[in-house]
Amino acid sequence: MIGLVDANNFYVSCERVFSPALEGKAVGVMSNNDGCVIARSAEMKALEIPMGTPAFQLEGLRRRGAIHLVSSNYELYGDMSARLAQLLRDACPKVAPYSIDEMFIYLDGLGTTKCLAIGAALRRRIRRHLGLPVCVGLAPTHTLAKLANHVAKKQPHYQGVCLLSENSSATTALLKQLPVSDVWGIGKRLANQLAINGIHTAWDLRKCDHKRLRQQFSVVLARTALELRGTPCLQMNALEQPRQRIMTSRSFGKATGIKAELYGALQCHAQRSAEKLRQQRSLTRAVLLFLSTNRHRKDQPQYFPRAMVPLPTPSDDTRIILAAVREGLEQIYRPHHHFIKAGVMLVDLVDTQQQQLSLLQRPAKTHPHLMETVDAINQRMGQGTIHFGMTDAQAPWQLRCAHRSKRYTTRWDELMEAGTHPGAIQAFTSPP
Amino acid sequence: MMSLTSQPLPFPALHGRAGFSGFPSPAQDYEHRTLDLNVRLIKNPTQTFYLTARGDSMEGWGIFDGDLLVVDRSVQPRLGHILVAMFNEEVLIKRYALHHGAPHLCSSHPHYPPLPLDDTECQLWGVVRAVVHEYLP
Repeated sequence: MIGLVDANNFYVSCERVFSPALEGKAVGVMSNNDGCVIARSAEMKALEIPMGTPAFQLEGLRRRGAIHLVSSNYELYGDMSARLAQLLRDACPKVAPYSIDEMFIYLDGLGTTKCLAIGAALRRRIRRHLGLPVCVGLAPTHTLAKLANHVAKKQPHYQGVCLLSENSSATTALLKQLPVSDVWGIGKRLANQLAINGIHTAWDLRKCDHKRLRQQFSVVLARTALELRGTPCLQMNALEQPRQRIMTSRSFGKATGIKAELYGALQCHAQRSAEKLRQQRSLTRAVLLFLSTNRHRKDQPQYFPRAMVPLPTPSDDTRIILAAVREGLEQIYRPHHHFIKAGVMLVDLVDTQQQQLSLLQRPAKTHPHLMETVDAINQRMGQGTIHFGMTDAQAPWQLRCAHRSKRYTTRWDELMEAGTHPGAIQAFTSPP
Repeated sequence: MMSLTSQPLPFPALHGRAGFSGFPSPAQDYEHRTLDLNVRLIKNPTQTFYLTARGDSMEGWGIFDGDLLVVDRSVQPRLGHILVAMFNEEVLIKRYALHHGAPHLCSSHPHYPPLPLDDTECQLWGVVRAVVHEYLP
């Protein structure tokens, strides 16, 4: 059985762990530079404030105290995501993080009852130990697990844990009323094409002959149909297809602890990732980099640091991504460790076309022609023919984040405070 | 941000060799076995958070204004534990103890009477595992 653990309104939930007073209130998280709303609490959704609403339109509501808006705090979200993944690893034999707030767990050879019990226990434990509300979807395939999770979120009587077996009446009923566009990996355009062919619901797709689907559409769609029937055919590497993140990493030929060498490797990965990003016409909102020492060398000091660096505006510009990498490396580098692996991950991607620029947001200074030319030359003449060596050390790296919460888990001078009596925090905080 | 699972040694290991004779140092087998305060104070790194204490009414139990609290959210609270809890929208540090036979959240200061747990809305945040009081900047 495969489980999908998905945090509810993850960014908002992270904020609430450290500002418990936000519990039960309408909370929105704004994009980098406080441009528009990118995450909403249930209360905010109930107010019918759509995703992507420019922040300035909500200024009135915010001033009246009807809603709370916070700047995105990627350092905090990244740390909480790592904790979530680690908690799952401690409990399950195999875990595959899919995005910052979605993780697959693999419960091989366990029966329905046992899986449901594990799902409920994990949900309770994550809520209590990390303070994060999650829902768990369980099913024989990734695609059905994703649907099960959706049901667990929307239908309260499941109490956050839903299991869909391939042939149960509940699964059939759900698939019959579910529009095919709600199936994982099926976008609007494909859904329209399917509608022309008489495929409207997930159930219609499941009944299709997968060989016909493969000929008429694609291998991916044929696999989706099989997955809906309960036949697993997505592997984790295939899962990266509908890319929500781009990762490039490699082990070193020889362990190294030299900063310049580490930066060289990361630089290389960053350039490769940026190229992939441009190929799929996305922009990234944040850059995550990581290093790791050799786990098997118990005799050597171990260190597996990660750094998440948000970008001022979503970008696909190699130079901006490189500057972020350099900043991240400064944060995590420690001498006297032998690193064997380094990687760069671009997370929280947005479509180039969909990018919404608010009036307050300074448009990203991109040079599309420059980047296109670089990619074209590299494709023709071989990887790395043109690459970026030095980047501008004076890059404007200041984020607009007027309402950012503290980075409670990654900065010593920004810890959460607890009072020894009511009013103590105000009384004992020295005025700035 | 630091990885949560690994707790690197506080300082680099020494690669000791005895002189230039080439004999291995007898201490070589004991390299990397230095004491690590992380291991002592943090039993569950994934579930452990650091907080700063504010106020003077827990001094009787050794918590001073500005102290660092090591809070473990995975510990089941028991009587006698020091807790971080939400109380009327405020995050408070209190001792979970019996007062006249009923569970209360207590401070060590006479100004602040024990808060009864029965008729108030109180939500547990975590259990304080250790307090770090620094004497030098």
